[in-house]
Amino acid sequence: MRILAIETSCDETAIAVLRGEGEDILVEKNLVASQIDIHAKYGGVVPEVAAREHTQAIMPLLLESGIAADGSSIDVVAVTQGPGLVPALRIGVELGKTLAWSWEKPLVGVNHLEGHVYSVWLGNQGTPKFPALVLLVSGGHTELILMKGHGDYELIGMTRDDAAGEAFDKVAKLLDLGYPGGPAISKMAESGNASAIPFPRPMLESGDFDFSFSGLKTAVRVYLQEHPEANRADVAASFQHAVVDTLVTKTVRAAEKYGAASVILSGGVSANTLLRETLRGALDQIDLELHVPEMKFTTDNAAMIGAAGYFRARQNDFIDPLHTEADPNMRLA
Amino acid sequence: MHYETHSTEETMQIGADLAADLKGGEVIELFGDLGSGKTTLVRGFARALGYKGPVRSPTFTIMNIYPVAHKTIKEIIHLDLYRLGKESEMTALGLEEWLDRKDAVVLIEWPDLAGAFLRAADIRVTMEFINATERKIDIT
Repeated sequence: MRILAIETSCDETAIAVLRGEGEDILVEKNLVASQIDIHAKYGGVVPEVAAREHTQAIMPLLLESGIAADGSSIDVVAVTQGPGLVPALRIGVELGKTLAWSWEKPLVGVNHLEGHVYSVWLGNQGTPKFPALVLLVSGGHTELILMKGHGDYELIGMTRDDAAGEAFDKVAKLLDLGYPGGPAISKMAESGNASAIPFPRPMLESGDFDFSFSGLKTAVRVYLQEHPEANRADVAASFQHAVVDTLVTKTVRAAEKYGAASVILSGGVSANTLLRETLRGALDQIDLELHVPEMKFTTDNAAMIGAAGYFRARQNDFIDPLHTEADPNMRLA
Repeated sequence: MHYETHSTEETMQIGADLAADLKGGEVIELFGDLGSGKTTLVRGFARALGYKGPVRSPTFTIMNIYPVAHKTIKEIIHLDLYRLGKESEMTALGLEEWLDRKDAVVLIEWPDLAGAFLRAADIRVTMEFINATERKIDIT
């Protein structure tokens, strides 16, 4: 089955072509607007920081994918339907609807979060065993999801205020570091002492699997206000340690409580080395395997949407192109 | 009006009080530094209008929409312009579509950027961080 996948839920405009067979997925094209010099090739303007102008980027990407204009080589169209920013989502959804209708091919509506879950199906690292516990951490999301099978999810915890990635970015701002904040903080933390400052581990004893990172951000702010001469590397290291500690502790507890057979770590923050290593170490102790995406699939991309779309298509879970709209509050379960 | 709050709950209550007299169509700008309580105030606002779901920071999503069951207000539009670099990006995102609706209330965090783009806000909330729990809030 050959899939054309489209993703425009937030900053990135992305298109991918994949082939699925059995449990295996082969990524033929994985195009992300911010990583391609569209301007040089097709003219027009692509914003430097984030490709928000999806309308300008999406047709060049479609051309770049190299698929035949009559859609003859494509079996299924998969598109991110939500959650996300309506004006952004709409560009991808309308393109997906139009192509599916005019090519007379089935259309799959994919939840963006489900796409991140399936990012670990891309590449050759083995298939996660079900039930899998998913820790999805990015700039916009921090969720614990129990995946009982393909397309079968239970949301067991989420952030109540800021996502973990947002906390990284905002603390980076407090420390006058650059954007994106995740890599900047990790780099600075390398020369700092992670035990120097006892920042809070929010909600660790809340008795549920929710997270809260807004208070931690405020704690960093208070600390900097009270200690203007603080060693910034120590602040970065101690903050990162607090975030990782909280995420890993709750993930391990959830994996044990729900009897997970494997654990999936995905989303932009899954690129964080300390998080990967700490979680892997903790899971080794209870003999659970950890699946993480390849670095290029940690941030928003369309290949992961295609992977999720492939497994939905196998279950004939299609949507009607004439009656489909972007769903900014789309839920997984 | 000038307020001083000493807890998250008190900040949410200011948001709830703010919601009490609205009819829909209002635009509220929220000024204040990182950690000054803007999202907390919006949470109190949304709860007062009967929205029970999560109210999270829209910094990454840019816009959150909370449907509410109120006589004249159908949706709360929670905008955050923190990540937008220039005014043209608001146009590119088509955000003006949400700003002039009579059946919605729009709350905007980091509205500085929206200056020329927005009609004058109906309410301006300025929040100031004092310490871990205390905030100064001015509403005009």
